[in-house]
Amino acid sequence: MVSLSFPFGVILVLAVIGYLAARRKAISMVQGNLRQLQALPQAYGQTVFFTTFLPAMVILLGWAFVVRIMGPSYALVSDGQFQAFVIFTAAAGLMLSYSRTKPSQRARAISERWIMGLLMAASALAILTTIGIVVSMLSESANFFRQHSWSDFFFGTVWAPNFRGGSELSILPLLWGTLYISFISLIIAVPVGLYAAIYLSEYASPSLRSVAKPAIEVLAGIPTIVYGLFALITVGPMLRDFFAQPMGLGSSSSSVMTAGLVMGVMLIPFVSSLSDDIINAVPQAMRDGSLGLGATKSETIRQVVVPAALPGIVGAVLLAASRAIGETMIVVLGAGAAARFDLNPFEAMTTVTVKIVSQLTGDTDFASPETLVAFALGLSLFVITLGLNIVALVIVRKYREQYE
Amino acid sequence: MTKLPIKISARNVDVFYGATHAIKSVNVEIADKMVTSFIGPSGCGKSTFLRCINRMNDTIDVCRVTGDILIDAEDIYDRRVDPVQLRAKVGMVFQKPNPFPKSIYDNVAYGPKIHGMARNKLELDEIVEKSLRRAALWDEAKDRLQEPGTGLSGGQQQRLCIARAVATEPEVLLMDEPCSALDPIATAQIEQLIDELRSSYSVVIVTHSMAQASRVSDRTAFFHLGELVEYGDTSHIFTNPSDKRTESYITGRIG
Repeated sequence: MVSLSFPFGVILVLAVIGYLAARRKAISMVQGNLRQLQALPQAYGQTVFFTTFLPAMVILLGWAFVVRIMGPSYALVSDGQFQAFVIFTAAAGLMLSYSRTKPSQRARAISERWIMGLLMAASALAILTTIGIVVSMLSESANFFRQHSWSDFFFGTVWAPNFRGGSELSILPLLWGTLYISFISLIIAVPVGLYAAIYLSEYASPSLRSVAKPAIEVLAGIPTIVYGLFALITVGPMLRDFFAQPMGLGSSSSSVMTAGLVMGVMLIPFVSSLSDDIINAVPQAMRDGSLGLGATKSETIRQVVVPAALPGIVGAVLLAASRAIGETMIVVLGAGAAARFDLNPFEAMTTVTVKIVSQLTGDTDFASPETLVAFALGLSLFVITLGLNIVALVIVRKYREQYE
Repeated sequence: MTKLPIKISARNVDVFYGATHAIKSVNVEIADKMVTSFIGPSGCGKSTFLRCINRMNDTIDVCRVTGDILIDAEDIYDRRVDPVQLRAKVGMVFQKPNPFPKSIYDNVAYGPKIHGMARNKLELDEIVEKSLRRAALWDEAKDRLQEPGTGLSGGQQQRLCIARAVATEPEVLLMDEPCSALDPIATAQIEQLIDELRSSYSVVIVTHSMAQASRVSDRTAFFHLGELVEYGDTSHIFTNPSDKRTESYITGRIG
């Protein structure tokens, strides 16, 4: 096991020493006459700092990462040797860059190039992590498909996992539940959120807006498990007693309608807050132009403001849709865990995410298809939301070209 | 000044933005089928006064207008007057071209559609063509009517906005510094257009350019610090102003 803290401390100390020494050297070489330097004294210090710190850190982290993943047998040198090597790298960087410190060195450009490298590494990290996630899902999904037929997964109609073997693991009933619940929640969230946004941005007085907008946004801060409890103890029984049973549509307190309603409420602030910002960004000149032609306020909103804000509104709706598809807690507590195809909105159903959780909790054996199916489900969900985001991007881009 | 039928007449108009007294007791009579220009330094209230004539100031919460403005002897601030109807009669072109994010065709058809001026597609096509011709944009736009209006050049966009305004067949056309965002060539085209619009409308134009006022307008009103200082025939104002402040402004000593 590679120890990180000792070499890290040494590198850091060396780098700080390098910073102070280089700055002093730069100042003393021009006898304190700073105008003769190519850059500010601290730029010389930064140059040495980065040259000492960063290459040694990259080696240190890279090595630790490789050894941890591949196992200690891949370490070609002993721990002590490796630490010495890292410290040597840092010291070499320090000596080299310190010796190069002189007034004519373009220190600012060099230190800025190091900083740019850091920024680039930060953005690369996010992308690499995503790729890592996909790769790990892919390999586990491949394992799954070696043990279970893909035609049953994609085209079967029954979800019946059985840990003694012979399970039927089809995504379709789960996907149906996911889409049904998301659909109901969007039917609620999109109009309500959009109307709220239009009211707040076009009609509400500034003082009302300053109170109402944060109040709506508070909804977005409520943990989804709390929404789930609300669905479980209030909305579910209420829907059953007042709608499902009198109408003869079943007697289950968990239902698609319960989860959809509560999730719809959860999504309202997403739609309204984003749409409100976008509607506000429509230039006043557009409204003036329309009002100046004798259009009423509502004609202006319907025919000029909302169309101009449409790309952003579509983006907000698709963001809400991704949230709805990925939501788990409200579904577990509101809609139950029964995988089935049904049109009756007062029946219990379940979604992909809920089944991913239930397949991975409890005693699990990572070699059985009943567990590995979770990865295939996750990957399918990922592909669906990715597709949704791409559609959103295309729509937004298409309209944006028209509007600018 | 020669006697001509009066289209717009303002009596003791005061405008307040909250506590600011923006327009102070302005009296003016604007003739029909003529171009009248409002000149004056920035912040003198000329745009504010222009926006009173189609009640666009109603959209600003803190703005309050007192006094009477009459168009065809009817008080436009009367309780019975619907500002929406008024604005159909009094068209407006803004400082910055502001075409809607719609096609060229839909931009021009916007007003006629909301006012129900066309009974069918054919009539609407006619109105669009007539308006674009009037705004001297037809030849440039006829092959690209379905393309977005925002894709036109700045001068073309402003002519599109003029076409959009004349499509509702207004009686008065208000122009708030219509050329200030345009280059000299586009400005010349708009000025020529204003010259042609004179035969059909009463045109009121706010401008920062005294040269433009003298080129396009029959009458000129000089505003200073919210007051209407002097109003008369353009040639008279520019050659022989009676007020010292007008003289200082047009000779470049103030403003």
